[in-house]
Amino acid sequence: MGNERYKILLIDDEEVVLDSCARMLRGGNHEVVSIMDGAQGVELAHQFHPDLVIVDLKMPGISGLEVLERIHAFDPTIVSIMLTGFATVGSAVDAMKRGACDFLPKPIAPDEFRMVVSRALERRRLILETQALRREKEMLREQFAAIVSHELKSPLGAIQQNLFVLAEELSDKLDESQRQRLERMKVRVTDLMKMIQTWLRLISADIGKIRDNFHPVAIKEVIAKAIESVQNEATRKNIEVLAEGADTPRRVNGDEGTLVQALVNLLNNAIKYSRSASEIQVRVTEDGDKVALAVADSGVGIAADELPHVFEDFYRAPSSAKGEQGAGLGLPLSRRIVEAHDGTISVSSEPGKGSTFTIRLPALKTS
Amino acid sequence: MSKAKQLLIIDDDVDYVDGIKAILTRAGYEVAAAYNPKSGMELLKSKPWDLFLLDVMMGRGAEGIMMARQIGKDPKLRETPLLIITGIREQIAFLFPGEPVHPHFVANDELMEKPVDPKLLLERVAALLKASEAKKAKAK
Ligand SMILES: Nc1ncnc2c1ncn2[C@@H]1O[C@H](COP(=O)(O)OP(=O)(O)O)[C@@H](O)[C@H]1O
Repeated sequence: MGNERYKILLIDDEEVVLDSCARMLRGGNHEVVSIMDGAQGVELAHQFHPDLVIVDLKMPGISGLEVLERIHAFDPTIVSIMLTGFATVGSAVDAMKRGACDFLPKPIAPDEFRMVVSRALERRRLILETQALRREKEMLREQFAAIVSHELKSPLGAIQQNLFVLAEELSDKLDESQRQRLERMKVRVTDLMKMIQTWLRLISADIGKIRDNFHPVAIKEVIAKAIESVQNEATRKNIEVLAEGADTPRRVNGDEGTLVQALVNLLNNAIKYSRSASEIQVRVTEDGDKVALAVADSGVGIAADELPHVFEDFYRAPSSAKGEQGAGLGLPLSRRIVEAHDGTISVSSEPGKGSTFTIRLPALKTS
Repeated sequence: MSKAKQLLIIDDDVDYVDGIKAILTRAGYEVAAAYNPKSGMELLKSKPWDLFLLDVMMGRGAEGIMMARQIGKDPKLRETPLLIITGIREQIAFLFPGEPVHPHFVANDELMEKPVDPKLLLERVAALLKASEAKKAKAK
C-alpha cells in the first residue's frame, strides 16, 4: 500500500476497542482520530474529512448503520469498515448493502484487522485516483475549449472580416464569376465560424443550450446534408456512400445543425478508417417510436477491449487510429449531441471486417 | 472642411485591425491602433479622440471587457463615444452571469458583432460621431 498517509476515523462506544484499534494502526503513518459517540462521529467526519471510517454497529444513540448513511450522504467516496459482534453478523450484510466496504467481527484479530484496513485503503486510493483522472480530463477539456476559442477563432475572424472588407472594396472591379466566388468564400468561412462556436458550446459547458431551439427536423434532410458534406472526401478515397431508407418522412424534435454534425462525424470516421474503393452504408430503420441511423463500413474495425472507450474524450483506439490524424473528439461530440436529443449511440465492430455505429432518436409521431 | 476625425481601435488581432482600418481610412477618418489593453490604455489617455472602437473579447481573459469598464468609470474618457466590437454576443453574458447581455460600459456605447459589415460600420461610426458632436455643442 506504499507510504501514503490516510486519515482514519474510529467510532466506537467502547474505549478498549478504540484503544486496541488505534494501537494496531500505529506505525502505519496514518492520522487516526477516535470518538465514542455516533452523532459526534458524524459531526467530526465533516471537519476531519477522513479517508476511512471504522465504526461499531451497535452503539447507544445512533447506530453504526445510521452513522455510515449520514457520512456517505455528504461524501459517498469515503470508505468504511463495520465492526460487529458475533451475534450480529447477519446485519453486517445490511451494512455492506448500505455502503460499508467490509466488516470485522469482534473480538478483532490484529492480522485480519490490518488486512481489512489495507484493503479498504487500497480501495480509497483507487477512488481518489479515478477522481483525479476525471478532474484532469475535465480540465483538459476546458483548456481545450479556451485554446480552440482563441487560437482558432481569432485568425478565422480576421480572415472573415477581411473577406467582407475586400468584397466591398472590390465590388466594382470584379466580374460576376469572381464576385460569386468571393461570396461563396464569405459563406464558407461564416459556416466554419458557426461550427467552431457550436463545438465550443458543446465542449465547454452547456450542450443543453441547443435544446432551447429544438424544433421538428426531417431525418431526410439531416442525412442528405451530412452525406453532402463528406462527399468530396469519399470521392477522393474512391469510397461510395450508399443510403438506404433515407427518404423517410420521419422527423425528430431537435437541432438540425448539430444532428448533421453528429452524423458527419460518424461518416468521416467510416471514410477515414476504411480502405479506398470500399462502400459505406447509411441505413435508416424505424423501430416503433424510435428511428435508427446506422453508418456501416467495411474498414479496419475496432478491437473488442477498445470498443467501450471510443465515446470517451480524447480516446483513440490503438488498433485503428494509428497512422490517421485525429483528436479523439469526434465520437464524444456525437455522443453529447445525440444524448442532448434524448437519443443513444452505440457501436458494434469486428476487427478486419468493419464497424457499425448506430444513432437512435425518439421520433415525432407521424401525422 | 474640418480636421479629419481621430479614431482609435483596440483589438489584439493585427489582421483584423487592418481590415477595419481600411474601411475607415477610405472613408476619410484618421485611424490609430493598439493591439493590447496596456498600450491601448496609454494611447487612449495620450490625446483627445473622437471615437474608440474596442474588441471586448481581446485576449484569453477577455481583457477588453475590463478595459471597457475602466473607460466607463473615467469621467473624461467616458465622454468619447465607444463602439464595442465583439466576437460573440453571448459570451459577454457568460462572463458576468446574471448581468444583462450587454451592460453599458459608458453612457451611450454601441455594440456590433464580428464580422462587421463595412457599410453598417460606417453608418454607426458616423451616427456616433454626430451624436457626440451635438452633445458637445449643447454643453457649450
Ligand atoms: N469507423 C471506424 N472504424 C474504426 N475505428 C474507428 C471508427 N470510428 C472511430 N474509430 C476509433 O475510435 C476512435 C475515436 O474516434 P473519434 O472520437 O472520432 O476520434 P478520431 O479523431 O481519432 O477519429 C478513433 O481514434 C478510432 O480509433
